Amino acid sequence: MATIEQTNEVGAPASRGGSPGHDPHATATGVTNLKLGMWLFLASDCLFFGAFIATYLLYRGRDTVGVGPKELFDIPFTSATSFILLMSSLTMVLALAAIQRNDIRRLRIWLLATALLGATFIAGQVFEFTEFNREGLNLTTNLFGSSFFVTTGFHGAHVTAGIIWLMSLWGLASRGRLTQKDSERVEIAGLYWHFVDVVWIVIFTVVYLVPQPGPTGS
Amino acid sequence: MTEPMTTESTDLAKVEEGGSALAPAEHAPEMSPGEIHPHPSPLQYVIVAVILCVVTALEIAVSYTEGEIPDALIVVLLLGMAILKFVIVAAWFMHLRTDMPIFRRFFVIGIVAAIILYLIVLSTLNRFS
Amino acid sequence: MTTVTGALTTARRPFILRRPMKTTGVSSWFTTIDHKKIGIMYGSAALIFFLVGGLEALLIRLQLAGPNGTVVSAAQYNELFTMHGTTMVFLVGMPMAVGIGNYFIPIMIGARDVAFPRLNAFGFYVVCAGAIFLYSSWIPGINGVPNGGWFGYTPLSDTPMTAGFLPGHGPDFWTIGIIMLGIGSTTSAINFIVTILNMRAPGMTLMRMPVFVWMMLVVAFLTVFAMPIITVALIMVFFDRSYGTLFFQPAAGGDPLLYQHLFWLFGHPEVYILILPGMGIVSEILPVFSRKPLFGYAVVVFSGIAIGFLGWGVWAHHMFATGLGPVAISAFAVSTMLIAVPTGVKIFNWLSTVWRGSVQLTTAMLFSLGFIAMFTIGGLSGVLHSVVPADTQQTDTYFVVAHFHYVLFGGLMLAVFGGMYYWLPKVFGRMLNERLGKLNFWTMLIGFNLTFFPMHFVGLYGMPRRTYRYDSGLGWDVWNLVETIGAFIIAMSTLIFLTNVIVSIKLKRGAVAGNDPWDGRTLEWTTSSPPPEYNFADIPEVEARDAFWHDKYTEDDEGRLVPLPSGGADAGGGGGQQHHIHMPSPSFYPLVMAAGLIPLGYAAVYRSFVWLGIGALTLLYGLYAWAIEPATEPEPESAPARTPEPAV
Repeated sequence: MATIEQTNEVGAPASRGGSPGHDPHATATGVTNLKLGMWLFLASDCLFFGAFIATYLLYRGRDTVGVGPKELFDIPFTSATSFILLMSSLTMVLALAAIQRNDIRRLRIWLLATALLGATFIAGQVFEFTEFNREGLNLTTNLFGSSFFVTTGFHGAHVTAGIIWLMSLWGLASRGRLTQKDSERVEIAGLYWHFVDVVWIVIFTVVYLVPQPGPTGS
Repeated sequence: MTEPMTTESTDLAKVEEGGSALAPAEHAPEMSPGEIHPHPSPLQYVIVAVILCVVTALEIAVSYTEGEIPDALIVVLLLGMAILKFVIVAAWFMHLRTDMPIFRRFFVIGIVAAIILYLIVLSTLNRFS
Repeated sequence: MTTVTGALTTARRPFILRRPMKTTGVSSWFTTIDHKKIGIMYGSAALIFFLVGGLEALLIRLQLAGPNGTVVSAAQYNELFTMHGTTMVFLVGMPMAVGIGNYFIPIMIGARDVAFPRLNAFGFYVVCAGAIFLYSSWIPGINGVPNGGWFGYTPLSDTPMTAGFLPGHGPDFWTIGIIMLGIGSTTSAINFIVTILNMRAPGMTLMRMPVFVWMMLVVAFLTVFAMPIITVALIMVFFDRSYGTLFFQPAAGGDPLLYQHLFWLFGHPEVYILILPGMGIVSEILPVFSRKPLFGYAVVVFSGIAIGFLGWGVWAHHMFATGLGPVAISAFAVSTMLIAVPTGVKIFNWLSTVWRGSVQLTTAMLFSLGFIAMFTIGGLSGVLHSVVPADTQQTDTYFVVAHFHYVLFGGLMLAVFGGMYYWLPKVFGRMLNERLGKLNFWTMLIGFNLTFFPMHFVGLYGMPRRTYRYDSGLGWDVWNLVETIGAFIIAMSTLIFLTNVIVSIKLKRGAVAGNDPWDGRTLEWTTSSPPPEYNFADIPEVEARDAFWHDKYTEDDEGRLVPLPSGGADAGGGGGQQHHIHMPSPSFYPLVMAAGLIPLGYAAVYRSFVWLGIGALTLLYGLYAWAIEPATEPEPESAPARTPEPAV
């Protein structure tokens, strides 16, 4: 939500006619409101995802019924989608570098690339969910089913929100409404996007890669 | 919670130090408010991404050594590499390396609070015993 | 988007409503982004819900007035205490503090507005949406009044609604409602932090900020980090109920204690979210009416920070009776004892502030002194809870109810009433009647103690909380009757307060307040009452803590106060010259976006795609229109420059 708020002029002594040489956007800390607010939101979101991951860890290996991670996980497939999400962070920073050079053509390319990579990740997640479902895991099967789907699902929801955000920026850029002086808007979207990426780095390791507890019950 | 205190003095000092270099914004278009150093170049971004790829490949490789080396070692290696990737993305792509420390401090408070609090919860619920 | 050029007019934004420009009149309240108007709306909403929650409390007290009460049924009683607790915590305590903060934080730090004006309005409307959603559960036919207690413990609140202990939609309305309120408080907290850190006037260093601002900063940090935790806990409860997940289902290996941990991991910082603003308010009032600076400013500030920090390490003392094991119990007992230290330090600071001051016993001062006394009693019974064997005995008895009403009512609410008497003259320009005010204070103090002090006794006699009736002959009868009488005295006192507000402000019988009725110390008293939309014609330059006092008085060689010749008359700064203050423009979209949350709530409860569609479309429309419209509408070139009157 912090994302759509823009810096405003009320910090200025007067938007026009302030004392000469005085930066109208100067803040007491020297950082912009928008970026500070975004970082606070991300810090807050750490505790959001932390709670889901902690829940997953608490229930890991507790099940006695249903299918578990050992039977279900397809590490090569998930590695590929994780890699795609990781690379979307690269295209994101390239988009930022482009708008900071006022290279709007490249900005649009990289924004679109980032959104498409994100969409590929989501497609992979949808495929994975349906595959697991076919193999007998759903929200109600066991604790693994509950905590796995809800944890990764809320991450996926964050990625989806990020894709919508990036596409909106792309739309603005295509209509010439995003120029060099708006680069902070891209930077803020980028912070969110990278955050979603680093959360996945943690989830990928903790949920998928670490050795799984033995096969669940009969 | 004492963070804003120190932030105050150091950040303002930084602004004043960098003030002369920053002041006429036209001369340094690549710097925006809140940055101490300019952002990395696209080439540097690509190099960082290559490093991330290598670490990811290592992670997946390590995850396949299950059964050959002790599980505890695998967990330590994997967590170490995840932290490394996390830090690289936060430092380079999210610019915490070059931005003012206030952002880093807030983010670190969030991460550290999450880790400590949830570890206490898990240990209280006997996850580690 | 600040940089959108002037050429961008409504014509080029086809799907967007015409930008509201009115800043006066009834309709302007729905689109305002003025932090002062939003503050007034927060305060009014909180006051209304204080009456609603108070009405629920009166019904509870009527039911318990004598043994075997028959006023309400057991089911209604469950709904009443659940909604009473939820209302008082989320719809009174938090919005009240946010409202006072909204109004005064920017003025106290010498700013013209908050950092995110539209987000500020959004936060308020989200709280309203959450409140409407929660209370809509009382509409006949919905069958969903929350009834699982204000902390909604699992597995009680958690079993699928088809086979649950709590049939109906009660916990669904509760979880979704609290998540909404959490969104509102998180946005306002982020807004406060950025405002306090970024918008300070030149010279207003952190250690020159009024203590109230400091406490609100700590509160905002607590909110930002506590809200996501309960959000996750509530999401898991919601999924358990609606989609059959097993998070807190013991039969499937789920751990109901995890819910308690997550809840209190939020819940205990929440206690400090509620009480720290009260501490901030009295830290403003006591120095003014003692005509002395706050004793040990830095110590008070750091104690507040320490409380905010330690507040994260004590949550499991709510769970001593759950069998955490000796190590955990000892650790949390020690940390709970430890947190009494910074709290005690503050009490001594306040007492030392009053000590040897030229005390004026105004109503605001009386409420503040009442706060110190009542909060100390509540704090002491809190220390008792850190003694594990005693706590095990007291858990879920009326002793606990007595304790938290002493800190939240005797603490927060007395401070809030004091704050009203202190600040409403600034907000509305009229003094409240002191005679009615003193009547208000004394009836409140007597009623409060009659209601809640006997709860210590009946608690120790073994009366469990949340019991809807009791047999006679247990030694509880007399005290319960006393408590009910006390509750009605509180109600009467509240009516006196409302009468005072209506007579003094609405009917304009109160004396005109002027800029500085109390000989105040902080920047809000340099502005007119009520302050202009832009707060300050010239942004003040701050040279000292208690900036306004510093402008008005100096000390002679023997430490006596000497008024400065100018008497602070120029403190508002060289008015009169032409200014061009361009404030952010009003906007419809905070309201539109927040309104989208209500259908989304029904969509979650009823799993209905119709509601989902309505809600999502409203939300997205509001979001996009918000993002596209500039924060500040460019002014037509011909617009005459506004000439602000000199502030003083």
